[in-house]
Amino acid sequence: MKGYFLLQFKMLNRSLTAFGFPPLLAYILLPACFVGLSGYLFSKTEFAEYIFLLLAFALLIKQTGRKRNEFLKSCFTRTDYIKLRLLENFVLMLPFAMYLIFAKAAIFVIPLVVIAVVFVFITNNTTLHFTIPTPFYKKPFEFSVGFRNTFFFFPIAYILTYIAVSEGNFNLGLFSIILVFLVAMSYYSKLEDEYYIWSYGVSSHLFLIEKIKTALGYITVLVLPILITLSIYFTTELTTLFTFLLIAYAYLITVILGKYAVYPNEMNIPQGILIAVSLLFPPILLGIIPYFFFQSKKRLTSLLP
Amino acid sequence: MIKIEKLSKQYGQIQALRDVNITFEKGKVYGIIGENGAGKTTLFRCIAGLEKYDGQITSDFKNLKNHLGFLMTEPFFFSKITGIEYLRLLGNARNIKALNIQENNVFDLPLSQYAATYSTGMKKKLALTAILLQGNAFFILDEPFNGVDIESNILIVEIIRTLKALGKTVLIASHIFSTLAETCDEMHLLKKGELINTVVKEGFGKLEHEMRDVTIGNRIEKLNIT
Repeated sequence: MKGYFLLQFKMLNRSLTAFGFPPLLAYILLPACFVGLSGYLFSKTEFAEYIFLLLAFALLIKQTGRKRNEFLKSCFTRTDYIKLRLLENFVLMLPFAMYLIFAKAAIFVIPLVVIAVVFVFITNNTTLHFTIPTPFYKKPFEFSVGFRNTFFFFPIAYILTYIAVSEGNFNLGLFSIILVFLVAMSYYSKLEDEYYIWSYGVSSHLFLIEKIKTALGYITVLVLPILITLSIYFTTELTTLFTFLLIAYAYLITVILGKYAVYPNEMNIPQGILIAVSLLFPPILLGIIPYFFFQSKKRLTSLLP
Repeated sequence: MIKIEKLSKQYGQIQALRDVNITFEKGKVYGIIGENGAGKTTLFRCIAGLEKYDGQITSDFKNLKNHLGFLMTEPFFFSKITGIEYLRLLGNARNIKALNIQENNVFDLPLSQYAATYSTGMKKKLALTAILLQGNAFFILDEPFNGVDIESNILIVEIIRTLKALGKTVLIASHIFSTLAETCDEMHLLKKGELINTVVKEGFGKLEHEMRDVTIGNRIEKLNIT
């Protein structure tokens, strides 16, 4: 079992290095980011504990993959497998639990522990023949695949909007928009096989335009209920709302182009820094987007001459 | 027509292809044979434009890849994309507006299920259906019969014959000699990246015997099976 965790540690280090992060730096920065973002979340909404539970849930569900667990079961005895999975889940939950205690919300640690234990005995059978319906079936694949993986986030975003309206909290409404956009951005985090790009009978320029058009259209479908609701109930905030939406669209475009700007590699540190800087001063996106577009075109030319 | 001249490809120190010259005519079916690592897939990837190479590949079309259907040895599928969405995706990619997917589902695939849950053979059949729906002029089929059931095998052979009759060019790599002999007009034998033999239909029997002799040799005796 010790060997398994050492191997996990090595694999994590390799992933960090591949991402362009020296592991040591990552082990300093990641906890700091976690604490910073958690502090921000807890300062902005009274529902932060629930969002925390949700994040923990999403993290744990990733560990329940069928192939992964079948492999572990074949390698370890039943007792060792349970110990190992328990330990894994507790390690993942530890930062959340520690912050909840720090934020004087220790009561929420109990459901955290419960789900950590329950998820040891749950295997996510992805070979189920039940197909989750998606409204995005006409133009696969990012939104159709992504929606099936993350559909549960959208009711949460809509509930948050409802709470924002009922509590008169416009910022919470904006947060629900952020949530939808973050989820949609995650659809572009995974690199597709080159075959899926090569298959297109268009130039790299048109390919990118088509990707952006599809993304903007589909994200609008997802965010529209929130927009309409906020527009009706916060009429004095319309300028802020639509400026915010425009910036969110720009970030989605940046993420899409950022992915192809380094294809077939994953997003790298300079890109991350550029995006981080743009968070402080969003007008920079007006320069970043054309730059990423140009880079993407260059990268894709070999597949889409 | 696809004309390949002095095609060479190197991966680091490994010479995957060396000075390959072949012409693939319209309305013909070609078999590419050779042991594992002989360079068959590399040749296909070069034709498809998925690899950089030395030499020249020309065709009737300005942009060959837009008229080429490539069935890969192991087609890749996203974990939560259904069969019908996969077909739609590849149709959209070539701007095919009216896809008659259900009618064209000749392999009776469960198209509403996730493609990743399909068996190896079903995945092959789905990927083949997709490139057929695209209406390509050239087809590269890398191991099209792998994992496919006997009924579908018969159907694939018929599809290849139909493509030939329609004047399309088909390149097939397969380790099943009998199926190749049944469908191909010509076979090209690759060895360590070099094209060492080209045989027309009349010589297939002789080629099979030669390959059998070279491949088997005295290896069975060496095994000392008791």
